Amino acid sequence: MALEDTRRLGCGRSIDQIWAGMDQPPTSHEEDCELCQAAKARMQKIKEATVALRESDLHNPEMTLPAERTNSIMALARAEARRSKRLVLRGTEYGTVEISEQALSSLIRLAAAAIPGIHSRRCRIEVQSDAEMGSTHLTINLRVATASGIDIPATVEGLRQKINKAIPAGVGIDAGTVNITVEDLYDV
Amino acid sequence: MSEQNLQGSLINSELIASLAARTALETPGVLRLEPTIKGFLASLGPAALANFHISGSQDGSYRHDGVVARINDGTATVHLDIATDIAYTALSVAESVQERVRENICHTGLNPGPVHVHILTIEASPGSIPR
Amino acid sequence: MNDSNPACDADTDEGSIVARAQDGDLAAFEHLVHTYQDRLFRLAYRMLNDRTDAEDVVQETLTASWRALPMLSDVKAFGGWIYRLATNKCLDLLRKRSARAETITDPAEIHSTLDDGATRAPLEADPVASAEWAAQQDGLTTVLNTLPAVQRACWLLREIHGRSYAEIGVTLKINPTTVRGTLARARRRIAEGMSQWR
Ligand SMILES: [Zn+2]
Repeated sequence: MALEDTRRLGCGRSIDQIWAGMDQPPTSHEEDCELCQAAKARMQKIKEATVALRESDLHNPEMTLPAERTNSIMALARAEARRSKRLVLRGTEYGTVEISEQALSSLIRLAAAAIPGIHSRRCRIEVQSDAEMGSTHLTINLRVATASGIDIPATVEGLRQKINKAIPAGVGIDAGTVNITVEDLYDV
Repeated sequence: MSEQNLQGSLINSELIASLAARTALETPGVLRLEPTIKGFLASLGPAALANFHISGSQDGSYRHDGVVARINDGTATVHLDIATDIAYTALSVAESVQERVRENICHTGLNPGPVHVHILTIEASPGSIPR
Repeated sequence: MNDSNPACDADTDEGSIVARAQDGDLAAFEHLVHTYQDRLFRLAYRMLNDRTDAEDVVQETLTASWRALPMLSDVKAFGGWIYRLATNKCLDLLRKRSARAETITDPAEIHSTLDDGATRAPLEADPVASAEWAAQQDGLTTVLNTLPAVQRACWLLREIHGRSYAEIGVTLKINPTTVRGTLARARRRIAEGMSQWR
């Protein structure tokens, strides 16, 4: 493709520059430059039509995805989510009890949501179980983003304690090893 | 679908599946049985299921949304996929489901085999108090 | 089903929501679907000019994104990535349409597949088509539909959706300088087209 937009006006300004400044008040150069003013006036109609189209599409209730499409997307996602990793909690002669990694991580996220200044991110859970002994040891690897400016060690410790309470209460086993990694900061 | 003529009563895997499903749903802390991918495809109609192999009827087991039951030599084995209420301890709910289902299988005259319970999600129910 | 999950409130940063969705968190994915579905629909409709095709593209894009999410390495790149998936699905569909158009012999059908095959007469009953009449009076949408597909994609992504030159370049597999050139050409064609319309 050719580099067609090196086109410049006699005054040295490029069409791109003028286009970029269309919705701003004229610069001191543009106030004095007839070439720029003429170019701006020529493009004014396109700019206005573009803004009008953007706004009318944005506010047109017909320009939205119908609810049944959203439902189909979510129904398929739900069905496929059922294949997530299973962790064995108990195995006896009466049968096994398994829990999906997702059910566990949703509890952990819920615990994290209660701590101000933390957004939970990815969560990986491993389980070592000794079915004979009826013991299960979890290793929780949780990644989080924290609000910029907070006391990170204290906040992470608060989260760890919260998880240490939430897993026994919600699942019925100890939280085991809880590894928390701060991978990002977010602006408040 | 397998049929076992046992002690004069006709018990098949479909009946055990529906019994297990009902028992699970009556257990406190169980919100619902969770449909699997196959159940979802079935809800889309026959076309979606056409190239999906259904193993259920060949080995004498019966599956429905969230429950599979199989009868072998007079022993019933059950798999249940459940969603539990966050206000309850999930493992206790699952163990209580196992106990109740096995008890109800006894009433049919069959031997209760293992009842495998898979907790797919833990959620807040509208009436429950979040922890 | 996870609608009651409070883990996704309005102030959660998008990176965190994407990371949760990567783990299979349905509430997080649903949040992303709601954030992007209408934007993508507006893009696809303006690209394809056909309501059903646009809905199909958006549905396929978001479904594909659910499956491919775990492979996305930078959670902050989700927006650009989902726009790229949708844009390329639109371009694929337009290529299929123009390939089909070459084998069409019925003159009426040829008439409805102008230029690069993008322009189909919208159905009379299509509510979007009638509602947009006001916007169409200035001829912009009509002219847009006569642009080659890549020029139209460039214009829509930049001027309607505010995507960056770098991102558009990655989407269309061209460098950012070429993006500027393509936009300039689109702008000129729009200017010519709109003056004819008057
Ligand atoms: Zn000038």
